[in-house]
Amino acid sequence: MFGFLFRKQRMVEELIGKYLDNLRMTQEYFTEALNICLEGSCKGDFDFMTEQTHKHESRADDIRDEIKDLMYSKALLPESRGDIMGLLEAMDLIPGIFERLLFMIGTEKIEIPEFIVTDVKELIEYSLASFDLMIKQVEALFKRGGEIRSMVSVIDRNESHCDHIERRIIAAIFSSPTLDPFRKILLKELIVTMGDISDQADRVSKRVNIISMKRIV
Amino acid sequence: MVPLLGGIFLGWSLGANDASNVFGVAVSSRMVKFWTAALLGAGFVLLGALLEGGAGIETLKNLTPMDLNQAVVCSVGAAATVSVMTLLALPVSTSQAVVGAIVGIGLLNGKIDLGGLGKVVLCWLGTPLGGLIFALLVYRLLGTLYNRLPLNLFQVDRLLRIGLILAGSYGAYTLGANNVANVTAVFVGAGMLDVTSAALIGGLSIGLGIVTFSRGVMETVGKKLVRVDAFSALVVVLAEAITVHVYTFLGVPVSTSQAVIGAVLGVGMVKGIQSVSGKTLGEVLAAWFFTPAVSALMAVAIDFVVHLEYVPGK
Repeated sequence: MFGFLFRKQRMVEELIGKYLDNLRMTQEYFTEALNICLEGSCKGDFDFMTEQTHKHESRADDIRDEIKDLMYSKALLPESRGDIMGLLEAMDLIPGIFERLLFMIGTEKIEIPEFIVTDVKELIEYSLASFDLMIKQVEALFKRGGEIRSMVSVIDRNESHCDHIERRIIAAIFSSPTLDPFRKILLKELIVTMGDISDQADRVSKRVNIISMKRIV
Repeated sequence: MVPLLGGIFLGWSLGANDASNVFGVAVSSRMVKFWTAALLGAGFVLLGALLEGGAGIETLKNLTPMDLNQAVVCSVGAAATVSVMTLLALPVSTSQAVVGAIVGIGLLNGKIDLGGLGKVVLCWLGTPLGGLIFALLVYRLLGTLYNRLPLNLFQVDRLLRIGLILAGSYGAYTLGANNVANVTAVFVGAGMLDVTSAALIGGLSIGLGIVTFSRGVMETVGKKLVRVDAFSALVVVLAEAITVHVYTFLGVPVSTSQAVIGAVLGVGMVKGIQSVSGKTLGEVLAAWFFTPAVSALMAVAIDFVVHLEYVPGK
Protein backbone atom coordinates (compact mmCIF):
# COMPACT_ATOMS: atom_id res chain seq x y z
CA MET A 1 0.00 0.00 0.00
CA PHE A 2 2.82 2.38 0.90
CA GLY A 3 5.31 0.89 -1.59
CA PHE A 4 5.49 4.11 -3.61
CA LEU A 5 6.96 5.90 -0.61
CA PHE A 6 9.94 3.58 -0.33
CA ARG A 7 11.34 3.28 -3.87
CA LYS A 8 14.45 5.29 -3.00
CA GLN A 9 14.85 3.45 0.27
CA ARG A 10 14.95 0.13 -1.60
CA MET A 11 17.61 1.54 -3.91
CA VAL A 12 19.68 2.55 -0.85
CA GLU A 13 19.22 -0.97 0.54
CA GLU A 14 20.45 -2.53 -2.71
CA LEU A 15 23.44 -0.20 -2.88
CA ILE A 16 24.45 -0.98 0.69
CA GLY A 17 24.34 -4.69 -0.21
CA LYS A 18 26.55 -3.95 -3.22
CA TYR A 19 28.90 -1.89 -1.03
CA LEU A 20 29.33 -4.76 1.43
CA ASP A 21 29.95 -7.28 -1.41
CA ASN A 22 32.55 -4.91 -2.76
CA LEU A 23 34.24 -4.70 0.64
CA ARG A 24 34.47 -8.49 0.69
CA MET A 25 36.08 -8.48 -2.75
CA THR A 26 38.59 -5.83 -1.62
CA GLN A 27 39.45 -8.02 1.35
CA GLU A 28 39.90 -11.11 -0.86
CA TYR A 29 42.35 -9.41 -3.20
CA PHE A 30 44.20 -7.82 -0.29
CA THR A 31 44.55 -11.19 1.46
CA GLU A 32 45.84 -12.87 -1.69
CA ALA A 33 48.35 -10.10 -2.34
CA LEU A 34 49.61 -10.20 1.24
CA ASN A 35 49.85 -13.99 1.23
CA ILE A 36 52.08 -13.82 -1.85
CA CYS A 37 54.48 -11.62 0.14
CA LEU A 38 54.30 -13.75 3.25
CA GLU A 39 55.04 -16.89 1.23
CA GLY A 40 58.23 -15.52 -0.25
CA SER A 41 58.71 -12.53 -2.51
CA CYS A 42 56.25 -9.86 -3.50
CA LYS A 43 56.37 -10.67 -7.18
CA GLY A 44 54.24 -12.44 -9.77
CA ASP A 45 50.54 -11.84 -9.07
CA PHE A 46 51.22 -9.30 -6.32
CA ASP A 47 50.92 -6.30 -8.63
CA PHE A 48 47.73 -7.64 -10.20
CA MET A 49 46.16 -8.29 -6.78
CA THR A 50 47.22 -4.81 -5.59
CA GLU A 51 45.62 -3.29 -8.64
CA GLN A 52 42.40 -5.24 -8.01
CA THR A 53 42.41 -4.11 -4.38
CA HIS A 54 42.74 -0.51 -5.53
CA LYS A 55 39.99 -0.96 -8.13
CA HIS A 56 37.54 -2.32 -5.56
CA GLU A 57 38.50 0.35 -3.03
CA SER A 58 37.66 3.03 -5.63
CA ARG A 59 34.42 1.24 -6.50
CA ALA A 60 33.49 1.32 -2.78
CA ASP A 61 33.99 5.11 -2.83
CA ASP A 62 31.74 5.42 -5.89
CA ILE A 63 28.98 3.32 -4.32
CA ARG A 64 29.24 5.35 -1.10
CA ASP A 65 28.80 8.59 -3.07
CA GLU A 66 25.81 7.11 -4.89
CA ILE A 67 24.22 6.20 -1.54
CA LYS A 68 24.94 9.68 -0.21
CA ASP A 69 23.26 11.36 -3.23
CA LEU A 70 20.21 9.11 -2.92
CA MET A 71 19.80 9.68 0.79
CA TYR A 72 20.05 13.42 0.51
CA SER A 73 17.37 13.36 -2.15
CA LYS A 74 14.91 12.62 0.64
CA ALA A 75 15.19 8.87 1.14
CA LEU A 76 14.94 7.67 4.76
CA LEU A 77 14.38 9.50 8.04
CA PRO A 78 16.92 12.29 8.67
CA GLU A 79 18.43 10.51 11.67
CA SER A 80 18.83 7.29 9.64
CA ARG A 81 20.56 9.24 6.86
CA GLY A 82 23.13 10.64 9.30
CA ASP A 83 23.73 7.24 10.91
CA ILE A 84 24.19 5.45 7.59
CA MET A 85 26.56 8.08 6.22
CA GLY A 86 28.69 8.06 9.38
CA LEU A 87 28.83 4.28 9.28
CA LEU A 88 29.82 4.11 5.61
CA GLU A 89 32.55 6.67 6.13
CA ALA A 90 33.91 4.73 9.11
CA MET A 91 33.82 1.44 7.17
CA ASP A 92 35.40 3.02 4.16
CA LEU A 93 38.63 3.62 6.09
CA ILE A 94 39.37 -0.12 6.14
CA PRO A 95 39.75 -0.75 2.38
CA GLY A 96 41.89 2.39 2.48
CA ILE A 97 44.16 0.65 5.03
CA PHE A 98 44.32 -2.47 2.81
CA GLU A 99 45.41 -0.37 -0.11
CA ARG A 100 47.93 1.59 1.95
CA LEU A 101 49.52 -1.61 3.28
CA LEU A 102 49.98 -3.05 -0.20
CA PHE A 103 51.29 0.30 -1.43
CA MET A 104 53.84 0.41 1.40
CA ILE A 105 55.01 -3.12 0.67
CA GLY A 106 55.18 -2.48 -3.07
CA THR A 107 56.86 0.92 -3.15
CA GLU A 108 59.11 0.64 -0.09
CA LYS A 109 60.12 -2.91 -1.14
CA ILE A 110 59.46 -4.20 2.34
CA GLU A 111 60.29 -7.84 2.89
CA ILE A 112 58.86 -9.47 5.98
CA PRO A 113 61.62 -11.25 7.90
CA GLU A 114 61.15 -14.95 8.58
CA PHE A 115 61.15 -14.62 12.39
CA ILE A 116 57.95 -12.51 12.42
CA VAL A 117 56.00 -14.21 9.60
CA THR A 118 53.97 -16.44 11.94
CA ASP A 119 53.05 -13.51 14.16
CA VAL A 120 52.14 -11.34 11.16
CA LYS A 121 49.92 -14.14 9.82
CA GLU A 122 48.21 -14.35 13.21
CA LEU A 123 47.76 -10.56 13.31
CA ILE A 124 46.22 -10.56 9.83
CA GLU A 125 44.06 -13.59 10.64
CA TYR A 126 42.53 -11.93 13.72
CA SER A 127 42.21 -8.56 11.97
CA LEU A 128 40.38 -10.08 9.03
CA ALA A 129 38.19 -12.16 11.33
CA SER A 130 37.16 -8.88 12.99
CA PHE A 131 36.55 -7.36 9.59
CA ASP A 132 34.34 -10.33 8.56
CA LEU A 133 32.37 -10.09 11.77
CA MET A 134 32.02 -6.35 11.32
CA ILE A 135 30.46 -6.90 7.88
CA LYS A 136 28.07 -9.50 9.35
CA GLN A 137 27.17 -7.03 12.09
CA VAL A 138 26.43 -4.32 9.51
CA GLU A 139 24.30 -6.82 7.58
CA ALA A 140 22.41 -7.60 10.78
CA LEU A 141 21.72 -3.89 11.21
CA PHE A 142 20.49 -3.46 7.64
CA LYS A 143 19.03 -6.84 6.78
CA ARG A 144 18.08 -8.97 9.74
CA GLY A 145 17.98 -7.06 13.00
CA GLY A 146 19.19 -8.53 16.32
CA GLU A 147 22.50 -10.46 16.87
CA ILE A 148 24.48 -7.25 17.01
CA ARG A 149 25.54 -7.12 20.64
CA SER A 150 27.11 -10.58 20.76
CA MET A 151 29.38 -9.69 17.83
CA VAL A 152 30.57 -6.46 19.50
CA SER A 153 32.26 -8.34 22.32
CA VAL A 154 34.01 -10.81 19.94
CA ILE A 155 35.36 -7.95 17.81
CA ASP A 156 36.45 -6.14 20.95
CA ARG A 157 38.32 -9.25 22.15
CA ASN A 158 39.97 -9.66 18.75
CA GLU A 159 41.07 -6.04 18.82
CA SER A 160 42.76 -6.49 22.21
CA HIS A 161 44.43 -9.64 20.96
CA CYS A 162 45.68 -7.83 17.85
CA ASP A 163 47.12 -5.04 20.02
CA HIS A 164 48.97 -7.68 21.99
CA ILE A 165 50.37 -9.35 18.82
CA GLU A 166 51.29 -5.94 17.37
CA ARG A 167 53.34 -5.03 20.46
CA ARG A 168 54.97 -8.47 20.42
CA ILE A 169 56.01 -8.11 16.77
CA ILE A 170 57.36 -4.57 17.28
CA ALA A 171 59.37 -5.75 20.29
CA ALA A 172 60.78 -8.62 18.21
CA ILE A 173 61.69 -6.28 15.35
CA PHE A 174 63.59 -3.90 17.62
CA SER A 175 65.31 -6.75 19.46
CA SER A 176 66.69 -8.17 16.22
CA PRO A 177 70.48 -7.86 16.01
CA THR A 178 70.53 -8.40 12.23
CA LEU A 179 67.98 -5.85 10.92
CA ASP A 180 69.29 -2.38 10.17
CA PRO A 181 67.54 0.49 12.00
CA PHE A 182 66.03 1.98 8.84
CA ARG A 183 64.33 -1.35 7.99
CA LYS A 184 63.16 -1.65 11.58
CA ILE A 185 61.31 1.69 11.29
CA LEU A 186 59.71 0.67 8.00
CA LEU A 187 58.58 -2.65 9.43
CA LYS A 188 57.21 -0.98 12.55
CA GLU A 189 55.17 1.38 10.40
CA LEU A 190 53.83 -1.58 8.42
CA ILE A 191 52.83 -3.51 11.54
CA VAL A 192 51.15 -0.47 13.12
CA THR A 193 49.15 0.00 9.90
CA MET A 194 48.15 -3.68 10.00
CA GLY A 195 46.98 -3.13 13.57
CA ASP A 196 44.75 -0.30 12.33
CA ILE A 197 42.49 -2.87 10.60
CA SER A 198 41.21 -4.37 13.85
CA ASP A 199 41.15 -0.95 15.57
CA GLN A 200 38.91 0.44 12.85
CA ALA A 201 36.73 -2.70 12.71
CA ASP A 202 36.22 -2.27 16.46
CA ARG A 203 35.26 1.40 16.02
CA VAL A 204 32.75 0.50 13.31
CA SER A 205 31.35 -2.32 15.44
CA LYS A 206 30.79 0.03 18.37
CA ARG A 207 29.14 2.54 16.08
CA VAL A 208 26.79 -0.16 14.74
CA ASN A 209 25.90 -1.07 18.30
CA ILE A 210 25.11 2.56 19.15
CA ILE A 211 22.97 2.95 16.01
CA SER A 212 21.06 -0.16 17.00
CA MET A 213 20.69 0.95 20.65
CA LYS A 214 19.47 4.39 19.55
CA ARG A 215 16.45 2.73 18.01
CA ILE A 216 15.33 1.31 21.31
CA VAL A 217 12.86 3.70 22.94
CA MET B 1 -22.90 33.45 0.55
CA VAL B 2 -21.37 36.87 1.38
CA PRO B 3 -22.13 36.63 5.13
CA LEU B 4 -20.26 33.31 5.13
CA LEU B 5 -17.03 34.87 3.89
CA GLY B 6 -15.81 35.71 7.42
CA GLY B 7 -16.26 32.07 8.45
CA ILE B 8 -14.61 30.78 5.29
CA PHE B 9 -11.65 33.12 5.89
CA LEU B 10 -11.41 31.84 9.46
CA GLY B 11 -11.50 28.23 8.23
CA TRP B 12 -8.87 28.96 5.61
CA SER B 13 -6.47 30.49 8.17
CA LEU B 14 -7.17 27.64 10.60
CA GLY B 15 -6.25 25.09 7.93
CA ALA B 16 -3.14 27.03 6.92
CA ASN B 17 -1.92 27.22 10.52
CA ASP B 18 -3.03 24.03 12.24
CA ALA B 19 -2.07 21.53 9.52
CA SER B 20 1.48 21.97 10.80
CA ASN B 21 0.44 20.33 14.07
CA VAL B 22 -0.38 17.10 12.29
CA PHE B 23 1.93 16.92 9.28
CA GLY B 24 4.63 19.47 10.16
CA VAL B 25 7.22 16.94 11.31
CA ALA B 26 6.76 14.62 8.35
CA VAL B 27 6.94 17.44 5.79
CA SER B 28 9.71 19.56 7.30
CA SER B 29 12.01 16.56 7.65
CA ARG B 30 11.20 15.55 4.05
CA MET B 31 9.77 12.20 5.06
CA VAL B 32 6.55 12.99 3.23
CA LYS B 33 6.12 15.27 0.24
CA PHE B 34 4.13 18.43 0.90
CA TRP B 35 1.48 17.55 -1.66
CA THR B 36 0.93 14.08 -0.24
CA ALA B 37 0.51 15.61 3.22
CA ALA B 38 -1.67 18.46 1.98
CA LEU B 39 -4.04 16.22 0.02
CA LEU B 40 -4.28 13.65 2.82
CA GLY B 41 -4.75 16.50 5.32
CA ALA B 42 -7.48 18.22 3.32
CA GLY B 43 -9.30 14.94 2.64
CA PHE B 44 -9.27 13.78 6.24
CA VAL B 45 -10.21 17.22 7.59
CA LEU B 46 -13.31 17.16 5.40
CA LEU B 47 -14.12 13.58 6.43
CA GLY B 48 -13.75 14.45 10.13
CA ALA B 49 -15.90 17.55 9.74
CA LEU B 50 -18.68 15.63 7.99
CA LEU B 51 -18.66 12.56 10.22
CA GLU B 52 -18.08 14.03 13.66
CA GLY B 53 -18.21 17.80 13.37
CA GLY B 54 -21.82 18.10 14.51
CA ALA B 55 -21.25 17.85 18.28
CA GLY B 56 -18.95 20.88 18.45
CA ILE B 57 -21.28 22.89 16.24
CA GLU B 58 -24.20 22.10 18.60
CA THR B 59 -22.15 23.27 21.64
CA LEU B 60 -21.03 26.58 20.14
CA LYS B 61 -24.38 27.48 18.56
CA ASN B 62 -26.04 27.08 21.95
CA LEU B 63 -23.66 29.41 23.83
CA THR B 64 -25.79 32.42 22.97
CA PRO B 65 -28.67 33.08 20.59
CA MET B 66 -27.72 35.42 17.76
CA ASP B 67 -29.02 36.76 14.47
CA LEU B 68 -27.18 36.55 11.14
CA ASN B 69 -25.54 39.99 11.56
CA GLN B 70 -24.16 39.00 14.93
CA ALA B 71 -22.92 35.69 13.48
CA VAL B 72 -21.00 37.63 10.85
CA VAL B 73 -19.64 40.00 13.53
CA CYS B 74 -18.52 36.96 15.54
CA SER B 75 -16.68 35.29 12.70
CA VAL B 76 -15.07 38.53 11.51
CA GLY B 77 -14.10 39.41 15.10
CA ALA B 78 -12.50 35.99 15.62
CA ALA B 79 -10.76 36.09 12.24
CA ALA B 80 -9.43 39.59 12.94
CA THR B 81 -8.16 38.49 16.36
CA VAL B 82 -6.40 35.47 14.89
CA SER B 83 -4.88 37.63 12.15
CA VAL B 84 -3.72 40.42 14.49
CA MET B 85 -2.24 38.04 17.05
CA THR B 86 -0.53 36.04 14.32
CA LEU B 87 0.94 39.27 12.93
CA LEU B 88 2.20 40.08 16.43
CA ALA B 89 3.71 36.56 16.54
CA LEU B 90 1.61 35.68 19.57
CA PRO B 91 0.33 32.14 19.95
CA VAL B 92 -3.34 31.95 19.17
CA SER B 93 -6.10 29.39 19.42
CA THR B 94 -8.88 29.74 16.85
CA SER B 95 -11.27 27.91 19.20
CA GLN B 96 -10.61 30.43 21.94
CA ALA B 97 -10.95 33.34 19.53
CA VAL B 98 -14.34 32.10 18.32
CA VAL B 99 -15.67 31.41 21.81
CA GLY B 100 -14.35 34.80 22.96
CA ALA B 101 -16.25 36.50 20.13
CA ILE B 102 -19.42 34.55 20.93
CA VAL B 103 -19.13 35.54 24.60
CA GLY B 104 -18.63 39.18 23.56
CA ILE B 105 -21.86 39.09 21.56
CA GLY B 106 -23.52 37.12 24.38
CA LEU B 107 -22.62 39.89 26.83
CA LEU B 108 -24.25 42.44 24.53
CA ASN B 109 -27.34 40.25 24.29
CA GLY B 110 -27.28 39.62 28.01
CA LYS B 111 -27.67 35.89 27.38
CA ILE B 112 -24.88 33.38 27.87
CA ASP B 113 -25.20 29.68 28.55
CA LEU B 114 -22.89 29.65 31.56
CA GLY B 115 -23.03 25.86 31.91
CA GLY B 116 -21.89 25.39 28.33
CA LEU B 117 -19.25 28.11 28.68
CA GLY B 118 -17.92 26.52 31.87
CA LYS B 119 -17.59 23.17 30.09
CA VAL B 120 -15.70 24.81 27.23
CA VAL B 121 -13.28 26.68 29.52
CA LEU B 122 -12.62 23.55 31.58
CA CYS B 123 -11.80 21.67 28.41
CA TRP B 124 -9.35 24.40 27.39
CA LEU B 125 -7.53 23.97 30.68
CA GLY B 126 -7.54 20.23 30.14
CA THR B 127 -6.18 20.30 26.59
CA PRO B 128 -2.42 20.47 27.32
CA LEU B 129 -2.95 18.16 30.29
CA GLY B 130 -4.76 15.68 28.01
CA GLY B 131 -1.90 15.92 25.49
CA LEU B 132 0.60 15.23 28.27
CA ILE B 133 -1.28 12.25 29.72
CA PHE B 134 -1.94 10.65 26.33
CA ALA B 135 1.70 11.18 25.33
CA LEU B 136 2.82 9.32 28.46
CA LEU B 137 0.40 6.46 27.80
CA VAL B 138 1.05 6.21 24.07
CA TYR B 139 4.82 6.36 24.58
CA ARG B 140 4.76 3.52 27.11
CA LEU B 141 2.36 1.36 25.12
CA LEU B 142 3.83 1.85 21.64
CA GLY B 143 7.37 1.85 23.03
CA THR B 144 6.90 -1.58 24.60
CA LEU B 145 5.51 -3.03 21.36
CA TYR B 146 8.14 -1.33 19.21
CA ASN B 147 11.06 -2.57 21.33
CA ARG B 148 9.85 -6.14 20.98
CA LEU B 149 9.84 -6.11 17.20
CA PRO B 150 12.99 -7.64 15.65
CA LEU B 151 13.36 -4.98 12.96
CA ASN B 152 16.34 -3.89 10.94
CA LEU B 153 17.14 -0.21 10.33
CA PHE B 154 15.20 -0.01 7.07
CA GLN B 155 12.13 -1.69 8.56
CA VAL B 156 12.24 0.71 11.51
CA ASP B 157 12.43 3.59 9.08
CA ARG B 158 9.46 2.30 7.05
CA LEU B 159 7.39 1.63 10.14
CA LEU B 160 7.95 5.13 11.51
CA ARG B 161 7.24 6.83 8.21
CA ILE B 162 4.01 4.89 7.69
CA GLY B 163 3.14 5.59 11.34
CA LEU B 164 3.67 9.32 10.82
CA ILE B 165 1.45 9.33 7.73
CA LEU B 166 -1.31 7.38 9.48
CA ALA B 167 -1.05 9.47 12.66
CA GLY B 168 -1.03 12.66 10.56
CA SER B 169 -4.16 11.52 8.70
CA TYR B 170 -5.86 10.70 11.99
CA GLY B 171 -4.75 14.08 13.34
CA ALA B 172 -6.24 15.80 10.28
CA TYR B 173 -9.47 13.86 10.78
CA THR B 174 -9.74 15.01 14.42
CA LEU B 175 -8.77 18.57 13.43
CA GLY B 176 -11.72 18.65 11.04
CA ALA B 177 -14.07 16.92 13.47
CA ASN B 178 -13.17 19.20 16.36
CA ASN B 179 -12.40 22.56 14.82
CA VAL B 180 -15.05 22.80 12.10
CA ALA B 181 -17.40 24.22 14.75
CA ASN B 182 -15.15 27.27 15.05
CA VAL B 183 -15.71 28.08 11.42
CA THR B 184 -19.42 27.76 10.87
CA ALA B 185 -21.20 27.12 14.20
CA VAL B 186 -22.28 30.75 14.52
CA PHE B 187 -24.10 30.51 11.18
CA VAL B 188 -25.95 27.43 12.38
CA GLY B 189 -26.88 29.37 15.54
CA ALA B 190 -28.16 32.21 13.36
CA GLY B 191 -30.29 29.76 11.37
CA MET B 192 -28.44 30.32 8.10
CA LEU B 193 -27.02 26.80 7.77
CA ASP B 194 -27.97 23.33 8.94
CA VAL B 195 -25.34 21.24 10.72
CA THR B 196 -24.42 19.16 7.64
CA SER B 197 -23.94 22.14 5.33
CA ALA B 198 -21.97 23.89 8.07
CA ALA B 199 -19.69 20.86 8.41
CA LEU B 200 -19.26 20.67 4.63
CA ILE B 201 -18.49 24.38 4.14
CA GLY B 202 -16.27 24.49 7.23
CA GLY B 203 -14.41 21.31 6.23
CA LEU B 204 -13.87 22.59 2.69
CA SER B 205 -12.54 25.95 3.87
CA ILE B 206 -10.11 24.33 6.32
CA GLY B 207 -9.02 21.94 3.55
CA LEU B 208 -8.54 24.89 1.21
CA GLY B 209 -6.29 26.55 3.80
CA ILE B 210 -4.17 23.40 4.03
CA VAL B 211 -3.79 22.99 0.28
CA THR B 212 -3.16 26.65 -0.54
CA PHE B 213 -1.21 28.13 2.34
CA SER B 214 0.09 25.60 4.88
CA ARG B 215 3.43 24.82 3.25
CA GLY B 216 5.46 27.59 4.91
CA VAL B 217 3.98 27.00 8.35
CA MET B 218 4.48 23.23 8.06
CA GLU B 219 8.10 23.66 7.10
CA THR B 220 8.92 26.13 9.87
CA VAL B 221 6.72 24.92 12.73
CA GLY B 222 7.57 21.27 12.01
CA LYS B 223 11.24 21.98 12.58
CA LYS B 224 10.52 22.78 16.20
CA LEU B 225 9.26 19.23 16.62
CA VAL B 226 11.76 17.44 14.45
CA ARG B 227 14.39 17.98 17.14
CA VAL B 228 12.71 15.06 18.84
CA ASP B 229 13.38 11.67 17.28
CA ALA B 230 10.94 10.17 14.78
CA PHE B 231 9.35 7.84 17.33
CA SER B 232 8.71 10.73 19.74
CA ALA B 233 7.29 12.79 16.88
CA LEU B 234 4.88 9.95 16.11
CA VAL B 235 3.85 9.81 19.78
CA VAL B 236 3.31 13.59 19.86
CA VAL B 237 1.06 13.56 16.78
CA LEU B 238 -0.91 10.54 18.03
CA ALA B 239 -1.34 11.95 21.55
CA GLU B 240 -2.47 15.27 20.13
CA ALA B 241 -4.97 13.55 17.82
CA ILE B 242 -6.37 11.36 20.61
CA THR B 243 -6.71 14.37 22.93
CA VAL B 244 -8.53 16.41 20.31
CA HIS B 245 -10.72 13.41 19.47
CA VAL B 246 -11.75 13.02 23.11
CA TYR B 247 -12.84 16.65 23.19
CA THR B 248 -14.68 16.06 19.92
CA PHE B 249 -16.78 13.40 21.71
CA LEU B 250 -17.46 15.97 24.44
CA GLY B 251 -18.48 18.45 21.74
CA VAL B 252 -15.91 21.09 22.67
CA PRO B 253 -13.59 22.71 20.11
CA VAL B 254 -10.05 22.94 21.54
CA SER B 255 -6.66 24.11 20.35
CA THR B 256 -4.54 21.52 18.52
CA SER B 257 -1.46 23.66 19.23
CA GLN B 258 -2.05 23.43 22.98
CA ALA B 259 -2.57 19.67 22.72
CA VAL B 260 0.76 19.42 20.89
CA ILE B 261 2.55 21.45 23.57
CA GLY B 262 1.15 19.12 26.25
CA ALA B 263 2.21 16.06 24.25
CA VAL B 264 5.75 17.41 23.77
CA LEU B 265 6.01 17.98 27.53
CA GLY B 266 4.75 14.41 28.09
CA VAL B 267 7.41 12.94 25.81
CA GLY B 268 9.99 15.14 27.54
CA MET B 269 8.94 13.67 30.88
CA VAL B 270 9.28 10.06 29.64
CA LYS B 271 12.70 10.77 28.18
CA GLY B 272 13.87 12.33 31.41
CA ILE B 273 14.06 15.97 30.39
CA GLN B 274 14.01 17.84 33.68
CA SER B 275 13.51 21.41 32.58
CA VAL B 276 10.26 22.62 31.12
CA SER B 277 10.50 25.77 29.06
CA GLY B 278 9.04 28.63 31.07
CA LYS B 279 8.63 30.59 27.85
CA THR B 280 6.46 27.86 26.30
CA LEU B 281 4.28 27.61 29.39
CA GLY B 282 4.01 31.38 29.49
CA GLU B 283 2.84 31.37 25.87
CA VAL B 284 0.16 28.78 26.63
CA LEU B 285 -1.11 30.78 29.59
CA ALA B 286 -1.06 34.00 27.57
CA ALA B 287 -3.13 32.33 24.85
CA TRP B 288 -5.67 31.10 27.44
CA PHE B 289 -6.22 34.58 28.83
CA PHE B 290 -5.59 37.00 26.00
CA THR B 291 -7.11 35.30 22.94
CA PRO B 292 -10.72 35.03 24.24
CA ALA B 293 -10.51 38.43 25.91
CA VAL B 294 -9.15 40.22 22.83
CA SER B 295 -11.64 38.41 20.59
CA ALA B 296 -14.59 39.34 22.84
CA LEU B 297 -13.50 42.99 22.77
CA MET B 298 -13.01 42.83 19.02
CA ALA B 299 -16.51 41.39 18.45
CA VAL B 300 -18.07 44.02 20.73
CA ALA B 301 -16.13 46.78 18.95
CA ILE B 302 -17.18 45.55 15.49
CA ASP B 303 -20.80 45.22 16.64
CA PHE B 304 -20.62 48.79 17.97
CA VAL B 305 -19.24 50.07 14.64
CA VAL B 306 -21.90 48.15 12.69
CA HIS B 307 -24.64 49.83 14.71
CA LEU B 308 -23.27 53.35 14.44
CA GLU B 309 -25.72 55.59 12.65
CA TYR B 310 -24.98 58.79 10.81
CA VAL B 311 -27.72 61.34 11.50
CA PRO B 312 -27.40 64.23 9.06
CA GLY B 313 -28.57 67.83 9.54
CA LYS B 314 -27.76 68.42 13.20
